[in-house]
Amino acid sequence: MNTTSDTQRRIDAYLSRLRGLLRGVKDEEVREIVEELRSHIMDKAAADGEMTSAGVDAALAALGSPEDLASQYMTHNLLARAEVSRSPVQILKSLFRWASLSVGGFFVLIGSVVGYSLGVVFLLGAVAKLFHPRTAGLWTYRDSAGDLAISLRLGFGSVPGGGKDVLGWWIVPIGWLAGGGLVMLTTHVAVWSVRRYRRSRVLP
Amino acid sequence: MKERDTRDQETGDKWEVQLRKGCLELAILAALWDGRRYGLEILRRLESDSDLIVSEGTVYPLLSRLKALGLVRSEWVASDAGHPRKYYALTHAGKQRAMEMAAIWARFSSSMSKLLAPLAKENR
Repeated sequence: MNTTSDTQRRIDAYLSRLRGLLRGVKDEEVREIVEELRSHIMDKAAADGEMTSAGVDAALAALGSPEDLASQYMTHNLLARAEVSRSPVQILKSLFRWASLSVGGFFVLIGSVVGYSLGVVFLLGAVAKLFHPRTAGLWTYRDSAGDLAISLRLGFGSVPGGGKDVLGWWIVPIGWLAGGGLVMLTTHVAVWSVRRYRRSRVLP
Repeated sequence: MKERDTRDQETGDKWEVQLRKGCLELAILAALWDGRRYGLEILRRLESDSDLIVSEGTVYPLLSRLKALGLVRSEWVASDAGHPRKYYALTHAGKQRAMEMAAIWARFSSSMSKLLAPLAKENR
């Protein structure tokens, strides 16, 4: 009787440690993972009929440390989600995980953040022109040092003296095309890089 | 000299590990070909029908990845053991992927066998 509660306690401790380590995995998936492994451990430990203390030890040892297991789940899940996802938010989440694993991932993350940010700025510029026709757009002007400066303005505040609205109303179609194109291109490059990384690591 | 032998041995081991890992996805899909199975059943199938010595801690995360990719689906089924078990089955996409991989495998393995035939004689 005593042994049973002791073995249960060890299984619970292992699984709760794993649960705590599964960061960035959806709650529902965490529950599934934990329940599946509990079922596995109980089957494995009771292979000879009754669940024994030695059986539980062997089952837990065969699964490996909760740290290794959690790391594999997170990498597999997040990379798989990035591969089938077209959502920038999901892709960025996965890239954060990848960046924590390799230098390559870090650079792809930086590149993607820049790509998405530029895309969003263009899209905002296109929208802002509709609300602030006089001040939004792509402007060039001379800065205080007399150098030519270029800025994409969303229409808040006044334009510096002598500024020139380069694109005029063209910012609307160009902003949509360039912004949408950049977001799509960034997504494609990120997904392509994730696939290459997974294959290069021969992650099964 | 001894040190070099150890290093060669390590390179060989590493290569074998990569090779096994690379085949694991196909092995799991193949183990599900004739019907649904739960994790431990898949593991036992791989142990009995193939030379793949698979660590348990590798198979479960991989199953979860295959599910996220839409190659397998899962369902919980009550069992006599008193706890439910998570069964996996191939989806349509999973069947297609398994067939594609099996075809690639067959092509690859027959061309390698041709190339390796002289070495096999030597090993005998």
